[in-house]
Amino acid sequence: MMSSPPIEVVLLLAVALGLPLTAFGVIMTLTRSQPRVSAIISLGAIAVAFGASLSLLIAHWGMPTPLVYEITWLVAGELPIPLGVLLDPTSLLMLTVVAAISLLVQIYSLGYMAGDPGFGRYYGCMSLFAWAMLTLTVSSSLIQLYIFWELVGLASYLLIGFWFEKWTASEAGKKAFVMTRLGDTAFLLGLILLWLNLGDLSIAGLNDPQVADRLSPGQLTLAAVLIFGGIIGKSAQFPLLTWLPDAMEGPTPVSALLHSATMVAAGVYLFARLFGFFSLSPAVMTLCLAVGTLSMLLAASMALVSRDIKQVWAYSTISQLGYMLMGLGAGGFTAGVFHLTTHAGFKALLFLCAGVLIHHFDTNDIFRMSQRGSRRQRLTLVCLVIGAAALSGLPPLSGFFSKEMILAHLAVHAHPFWLAAGLLGSFLTAYYTFRLIFVLLRPAAETPSDDAEGHHHSEPFGELCMAAVLVTLAGLTVVLGFGQGALTHFLSAAAGAPPPAPAHHLGWLPVVVLTLTGAAIVAAWWEFARQKRSETGWVDRFPTLATLFARRWYLDDLYRWLLDRVVYGGFSRAFTWNDQRVIDGGLDGLGQTVIDWGAISARLNRSQIQFRLMVLFAVVAVLVLYLAFA
Amino acid sequence: MMMTLFAPELTVLATAVVFVVLACLPTPDARRDYLTAAGLGALTLFVALTALGVQGDLFQEAYRVDRFSQVFKTLLALAAFLVILLCRRLQEIPIQRHAETYLLLSTATLGLMLLVSSVHLFAFFMALELSSYSLYLLVFLHRDQAQAQQAGLRYFLVGTSTSAVMLFGLALLYGATGTAHLGTLTANWGQWAGQPTVLLGLLLTLAGGFFKLALFPFHSWAPDAYERAAHSVAAYIATASKVAAAAALLRLTGPLTGAGGLLVECLALLAILSMTVGNLAAVAQTDFKRLMAFSSIAHAGYLLIGVLTFSTAGSSAVVFYAVAILVMKYTCFLVLVQVSGDGRNLAIADLAGLHRRSPLLALALMMALFGLAGIPPTIGFSGKLLLFHAALQKGHLLLVLIAMFNVVISLYYYLRVLKAAYLTEPVLAQQPPIPLATGDRALVLLLIAAITLIGFYPAGLLHLTEAAAQVLF
Repeated sequence: MMSSPPIEVVLLLAVALGLPLTAFGVIMTLTRSQPRVSAIISLGAIAVAFGASLSLLIAHWGMPTPLVYEITWLVAGELPIPLGVLLDPTSLLMLTVVAAISLLVQIYSLGYMAGDPGFGRYYGCMSLFAWAMLTLTVSSSLIQLYIFWELVGLASYLLIGFWFEKWTASEAGKKAFVMTRLGDTAFLLGLILLWLNLGDLSIAGLNDPQVADRLSPGQLTLAAVLIFGGIIGKSAQFPLLTWLPDAMEGPTPVSALLHSATMVAAGVYLFARLFGFFSLSPAVMTLCLAVGTLSMLLAASMALVSRDIKQVWAYSTISQLGYMLMGLGAGGFTAGVFHLTTHAGFKALLFLCAGVLIHHFDTNDIFRMSQRGSRRQRLTLVCLVIGAAALSGLPPLSGFFSKEMILAHLAVHAHPFWLAAGLLGSFLTAYYTFRLIFVLLRPAAETPSDDAEGHHHSEPFGELCMAAVLVTLAGLTVVLGFGQGALTHFLSAAAGAPPPAPAHHLGWLPVVVLTLTGAAIVAAWWEFARQKRSETGWVDRFPTLATLFARRWYLDDLYRWLLDRVVYGGFSRAFTWNDQRVIDGGLDGLGQTVIDWGAISARLNRSQIQFRLMVLFAVVAVLVLYLAFA
Repeated sequence: MMMTLFAPELTVLATAVVFVVLACLPTPDARRDYLTAAGLGALTLFVALTALGVQGDLFQEAYRVDRFSQVFKTLLALAAFLVILLCRRLQEIPIQRHAETYLLLSTATLGLMLLVSSVHLFAFFMALELSSYSLYLLVFLHRDQAQAQQAGLRYFLVGTSTSAVMLFGLALLYGATGTAHLGTLTANWGQWAGQPTVLLGLLLTLAGGFFKLALFPFHSWAPDAYERAAHSVAAYIATASKVAAAAALLRLTGPLTGAGGLLVECLALLAILSMTVGNLAAVAQTDFKRLMAFSSIAHAGYLLIGVLTFSTAGSSAVVFYAVAILVMKYTCFLVLVQVSGDGRNLAIADLAGLHRRSPLLALALMMALFGLAGIPPTIGFSGKLLLFHAALQKGHLLLVLIAMFNVVISLYYYLRVLKAAYLTEPVLAQQPPIPLATGDRALVLLLIAAITLIGFYPAGLLHLTEAAAQVLF
């Protein structure tokens, strides 16, 4: 395994991983105040990195075994900590996806972020993210993966709080950071547990079935559950899902790149990376299936009532990540990774479309957008509809194929309950997606009064960039589904990956799914688009339910209560008391005692000469006696 | 031959003779005396440096000139020269007494130089007394006669009592072994090592060194003497006298290589008591010189840790630490002399606002006090590290722990001084800046450089001290 890599691979990797870091360094130290230069540096770096990733993908298409190249980074005690890359179909595909979406989003940002005072800083953080995320995908060991896992978390924090002068934005950044940290703590504990027991954290080594012999089943399950905790945090799954909707405070391109297409998918990616390892513990696979299903349904229900376009897409992201985990948890490696890939494309498209609308109408509320004439944004709406159709799983768009694969896998390999949940989710998805679309498509109620509404007159170049990116992504969404065969074949070359599910046995499944989806779309049309529309969704007929969904199942209130009662009321108070009374008090007491003794000692030293001489001779006498008789 | 071996001592003797003559002249002249003393002090330092490499025995082998003694003589010459540089504005001593001051400084230096070369116990005693009597008189020479006499008398009484103890020890040692020559004692130590009388004699003989070092319980002269004596005299006692005392203790314990047991216990007890008493009492002080005195008592305890290891590493550490004390304490007194101006004593509170009156002096004070407290990277840190390391090699863990606890206590009062110098605002808003002559400025910079550079690169000095300590064993 440890052969020295061919020179062209080294070069390509160095370019793909090194350039974004260099761009980050240069922008942050030198060119931050010059927006144009910063953007060119960052874009250039990510474009070259994308080219390199694509070449790597093509060069390794159909390679027989995964390639691992490592060097020893440092030695802690006896244990060497390696730094290296693991190239296999999964990592190469993810590398390319991340580089591609990063490039597209950065181009889009040229228009979206134009004129922002923090333009240079924005591109610096984007480069930081690109570097961390790209390196994460090809990490050869969990230690390295964890380091970059935290770095993408940092980039996420910086970008969510990008408009930090806004109170809600900095609060949202903090919330995202703290909540993901909770999961990361579990992840770290899992890593430590594995390290103590195995002494090796290489991904290839962990996916080896022999790991089951070297760990007791209890330890294996515990370690897997702890690592799964990290996945829950990063991919915003139940119960750590509420940070993601709040993270929408960041700029929309950031939401598109980090909080839907790539960074949050890192959790799912980690699961895919360690698929062999997780497969060893059936309990964790079931847990994964359950968490995925629960998150998928919860988030979908929240999306039913939201009026904020970015919130809807955020809930939908959680929901789709839940789908991926369902697929993986049911043993469908290829299905999960394929959905990850297609989702990256169409969800980025949806967010970027939302960005254009927000940019144009200065509001996140879909109802106000439609009042102000969202229907006239033809190109954007066409793209939006393509993305929405993909999300709902309509053929022949990419989402249809990948979702179909997951459902087929559930139908074959899992309990019917999970399939029923998946079908329900698919109905809900189609309903909330097309509710949004139909609202946006309604004719404008107001006459256009653009100038009064503070309409942004972007420079034509920026508009062009944004439009070009939308069209590219829409094209990808249309095309990507047909690559299913090739991609499935490519992915199943990954070591340890089971053969793809035999979807062709299930002729009835697409029919059922499409019927459900169609019903959902009709329901949405009935309520929001026909001439005599009622304007109220079926959920709104049950105010309790609507409130429950809108308040996110009271999860935030629960966390707030726990935080106030347990953390602030319990731990903080106890520690504060300890700090003030025991530590401070103890030290003060100790110090005061020393000072008091000092005063006594000083007073004795001011005594008369007779006393001093007496002390002198007394001490000498004691010493004499001790030496003479001891 | 003899002249070359004895050259530094002869130069000091000549200096003393010159000042006998100058003291007899009817017209006192402070500037003339100062320049003469400085010139001759520089000459002595130069001669001592040239004599660094010589070796030999003198006076029927009662006097040994070797690397150890020559290193210490150079240090003594350096200390004496530096102290003379403090005497440019010697306002606390009446002008007609200046020549006598330099005369007594010379005889004290002569005594200390003889001390570090003595290998016969009687020669040792004579040298000790010569330096002690000079110092008793020096303490008296202060314009505030009543106070100075009181302090001088206490110094004298403690000194003579110690001499009595030491003579008793000498008598025991001589009576039990029939020899008073350290070389003979070392050579035949094996046959006497078990006898309590011999151990007792040696311990009591060490009292002479303890007294010079101001080790508990022979310390009680120090606070008064430091406080009441002239600044430069106190500086001399705090530096030159301590360096020579360290050398004397190392010479006397030379025979004890590899020894352990009771004597080590006694010495460890004295070290602990000295550190603790010194540090605790220093916490409550308000006068800067008195604080320095208690700090000296505490440092005597640290030094004794190195002595009681009876190993090359320990002895080398003691020599290193003696140099460190010389540099750090001298820096403190230099700052004191410059801030005090007309020779009055300084309370710690009087240092308020020093960083504005003279940033350079404040910096020097800070480095010196950090060094005394043992904060890296200073010469004091390296010295303490070497001492404690040598003690740990011999397994004195408890002793080192107690010493470290003492270091923490000492940090408190050193930082109190620094707090006054840097943070406290002076009561009088407008205090004049302290002018520094170019020479003084250069000297201060040199001292700061020495404290920090040797802290960073102790290897050079360590090489020298190891060479000196090697001779003892």
